[in-house]
Amino acid sequence: MRGAITTLKKELLSYAVSPVSWIIAFLFYLIRGSEVSNIVYGFAMFRADVNQFPAATYGVNSTFNMVLLVPGIVTMRCFAEERRTGSIETLMTAPLRDSEVVIGKWLAATVFFGLLWLPSVFLLHLMEYPDYFNADISFGPVFSAYLGMFLLSGFLLAFGCFASSLTDNVLLAAIVTILFSGAMVNGRGILLQALGSWRDNYYARELLAKMDVQGNFSNWFARGLIDTSQVAFYLGGIGFFLFLTWTSLTSRRLA
Amino acid sequence: MIRVVDLTKRFGPTVAVDKVSFEIGRGEVVGFLGPNGAGKTTTIRVLTGYHPATSGLAEIAGFDVQKHSLEVRKHIGYLPQEVPIYPDLRVVEYLRYRAELKGVRGKDRKLAVSRAMAKSGIEDVARKLVGQVSHGYRQRVGLADALVASPPILILDEPTSGLDPNQRRRMKQVVRDLAEEHTVLFSSHILGEVQDVCSRVIVIHRGALRADGAPGELVQQSNRALMCVRAQCEPSVLRELVSSLPGVVGDTVSMHGDRDDASLSCRVEPGADPTKELGARLQSAAIVVATLKLELPTLEEYFYSITDGLDHQAEQSDGVGGGVAVEDAAGDVAHNLDGVTDGDQQ
Repeated sequence: MRGAITTLKKELLSYAVSPVSWIIAFLFYLIRGSEVSNIVYGFAMFRADVNQFPAATYGVNSTFNMVLLVPGIVTMRCFAEERRTGSIETLMTAPLRDSEVVIGKWLAATVFFGLLWLPSVFLLHLMEYPDYFNADISFGPVFSAYLGMFLLSGFLLAFGCFASSLTDNVLLAAIVTILFSGAMVNGRGILLQALGSWRDNYYARELLAKMDVQGNFSNWFARGLIDTSQVAFYLGGIGFFLFLTWTSLTSRRLA
Repeated sequence: MIRVVDLTKRFGPTVAVDKVSFEIGRGEVVGFLGPNGAGKTTTIRVLTGYHPATSGLAEIAGFDVQKHSLEVRKHIGYLPQEVPIYPDLRVVEYLRYRAELKGVRGKDRKLAVSRAMAKSGIEDVARKLVGQVSHGYRQRVGLADALVASPPILILDEPTSGLDPNQRRRMKQVVRDLAEEHTVLFSSHILGEVQDVCSRVIVIHRGALRADGAPGELVQQSNRALMCVRAQCEPSVLRELVSSLPGVVGDTVSMHGDRDDASLSCRVEPGADPTKELGARLQSAAIVVATLKLELPTLEEYFYSITDGLDHQAEQSDGVGGGVAVEDAAGDVAHNLDGVTDGDQQ
């Protein structure tokens, strides 16, 4: 796994020096900061239960815009850019396994995505200051909300890596990932109609329930409830799309 | 160190490499020659494990490229034709990353990066962004990348393409220096630099192997060697003396002259040198010799003759404008004879 760690470090360095990363971070912090400060104001005005604060912050638009748009933009360059510039040749002829490349790139995207989320932990911590709310926020809901967001983002980033490995067009890779993210957020309703009588099938119902990421968050993760079947769904999804990425990459070597 | 047996690579119906076989021993510097589109890069990509072979065997340091790709990649340093480097990294950062990727870590990495930069002559751009250095420097950064893990085998795909004459000269010197420590496969379509750098050349054309050997030997073995003679005698006497010589192929290619000044040129068998025998015969016949020499083709002429020239001849033999090849040959001979005459006049 040394190759994966080396790839991770290089990718993080590339994110750090890429203007796109800074623009994403700036826009995200700006929009989310503004929305969260409005929620704080609302909680203060109506003396709401501060333990509901983490759940409330996951219901705002910036969260789902972030989930919809950012994975595609973060992962679009992963492999498509390497293919476009030809640097995939030096990468594929270096002595490391294809799986290490895939894991390293996915981890880097996940870490970068995590870095966009982390500052919101400090916002929660601010709530605990006596000068503000003097609230005692429970660790559980915060942890489960972040775990949920990590699982979902990891899942969408894994898909993004896969989409990026299929083309040398970064824009196409981003659009495909954004469409997939959109399907994960809004696809349940459309599929329910399209399935007709199949929607009563147990497996179809369960799968659609897992796909309902917005419902999963508001009803489970943000309330401090961790459903192992949902965790398995996301971890399985991450594994599945990373496997597909690896297959796409390694197929180049097969006769 | 490199063994290729009946290597074939197809892209759909197109045969890019067709049953190519060669071996390269430890410490050899081999030029891999061929016109553009000959199959050099495809062969190299199969050797580096980037493309799979359709059939045949390719081994690097005893490891099958297809079955033990990872081991193979540990033994090679590869400089692709277009050096694709991440433009947003500094040169030194890029090399550190590549060294680590190739398993060179800790203190060794720092040393390896410095050594590779020194060998490639890029220390002065170490802190520059890769995207900001000139093409020549990028090429050398790619070379430093190939060298950074000190692999026993270097595969350089047209390392001098797009370089100016000074940069090309420098690159050739670097490759020459590398020959002391590495086995080098050096691909190019520029003959002069291959002749300068390599002890052996492999010529590939339209995916097939056309020649393999030391440049000097190849041109000597060429069936385009000419014996040129100018002597003070009747042309018919000279022709008679030459025609019975061992090693002379067929009829005289070109002959002109008058009573006391005959010039003659004829093809000789590959590797044969009938000049000594002819010299002796002329001496015993008391004929004064103005010029007697064996003219070997240059590597460029030889290269043409086994690549495009051969294709051209094949087209002619298919019945399209038959006789042009002969005219071509006669033209070459006339050119050589002109050289003889001009030299004499000076």
